[in-house]
Amino acid sequence: MRGWVRHSAFSWAVVGLALLLPAASARAESMPITHGTLELIAEDQWIAPGHSLYLGLHFQLERNWHIYWVNPGDSGEPPRVEWQLPPGVTAGPIEWPTPHRLETPGIVDFGYENSVTLIVPMHANASLSPQQAVQFGASLKVLVCSREMCIPGKAQLSLTLPVKIQSPLPEPRTAELFAATRKSLPLPIPKSWRINVAGANDSFVLTADAGHPIMQAVFFAVTESQIANAAPQKLVPAASGFRLTLRKSDQLLKPIQRLKGVLVLSGDRAYVIDVPISKARGGSDAP
Amino acid sequence: MKRSILNLVVTALVLCMASVMSSAKVGDSAPDFTATASNGKTVHLADYRGKYVVLEWHNNGCPYVGKHYKSGNMQRLQKQWTSQGVVWLTILSSAPGKQGFVDANEENDYLAKMQAAPTAALLDPTGQIGHLYDAKTSPQMIVINPQGVVIYDGAIDDKPTTDLDDVPGATNYVSRALEEAMAGKPVETAATRPYGCSVKYGD
Repeated sequence: MRGWVRHSAFSWAVVGLALLLPAASARAESMPITHGTLELIAEDQWIAPGHSLYLGLHFQLERNWHIYWVNPGDSGEPPRVEWQLPPGVTAGPIEWPTPHRLETPGIVDFGYENSVTLIVPMHANASLSPQQAVQFGASLKVLVCSREMCIPGKAQLSLTLPVKIQSPLPEPRTAELFAATRKSLPLPIPKSWRINVAGANDSFVLTADAGHPIMQAVFFAVTESQIANAAPQKLVPAASGFRLTLRKSDQLLKPIQRLKGVLVLSGDRAYVIDVPISKARGGSDAP
Repeated sequence: MKRSILNLVVTALVLCMASVMSSAKVGDSAPDFTATASNGKTVHLADYRGKYVVLEWHNNGCPYVGKHYKSGNMQRLQKQWTSQGVVWLTILSSAPGKQGFVDANEENDYLAKMQAAPTAALLDPTGQIGHLYDAKTSPQMIVINPQGVVIYDGAIDDKPTTDLDDVPGATNYVSRALEEAMAGKPVETAATRPYGCSVKYGD
């Protein structure tokens, strides 16, 4: 109490400042968007110089409404975000959760129904100085669709957080969402696996040697217009993995060097692959 | 009478084949079709052999289509190219009850209100023409040359957004394909991802 009296002038100044500044919080108010709500959240309670902090764009959509993956498939468009960041902070790319196939007659899109969180690393420069609150802003353009219709929307989000020297502590209110989101991210391919992609006339043949038979696999190309989205992907299980035939997109008019994407196996196990494309065995260039 | 029955049989055969075979690609012959236009006339694609033909997939509820009509871009293109002898066919493949489905009167009202100027707007509620060309989106665009070969299939331009602001700075693939082809050059960008809303086919 004595301490309070002694520092009362200083304390009142702090209270006054706090009233002027928006309250620093890892969870801003969720705001309405077309057929849902959107919230900008932080994984930690503060940002620390020299550390990375994950922010998340949390979409809660009405039932059966969806947004799109980085490759939206046959129709639609991925969300686009422009960050307004404090000096000394830079944003990394969105870490996209494993997408789902959204099928309507003749058309296959890739995205997320009902709810999804798109997480983005923010890197704080070591010279960032401790302060009570810095503001993170996000200008978002997002297309929200049902199977019946699409509605474009815009949103301006912001979040304020303190900058502290101490190593950041996780924010309990968002821990569950970030944990669930990390589980939905595709993993690096296991080191012991061998993935080979051969280019044929109309298709790519993806062969996986995993050391055990695999009965189920679906491939999502990260770049649009490489794979025919709606074409069936023919899977042939093998003793040590599988072979998957992917029809090339009619829009793929020039050869590509690598195939990048996400391979989804049974039980929602998903792996990132990025492999060079070789000529098909038995092709015209075979010796 | 015999002739029309034969036509019917041929049309039915073509449609059956179309559902089995993969659809028309760039470099392939444009599959023929017969359709009823919103003005009541019957349109046969084959009648336009010798002319360039543009096919435009349309759905008046789609915001990507809205971008090109509210900005006046689509109407401008329709006027620009039809004045140079190009046939412009707007195709409506939405199934009854789905977004973008309209009857002939509603479509004629829309064309008048928007001051749109296609050669004809074709009603395709069964999605037969859409499936024949594997149209995925509105506004997907296809360009057919006077020899009846598909020379462009894809997006209207290189800005896959719903923003009206993106129209002025965009490269229009349809105009570029027509300009290149008319100058006797190969179409450099002959196939692109046709951005937009999914075509609302029946189930």
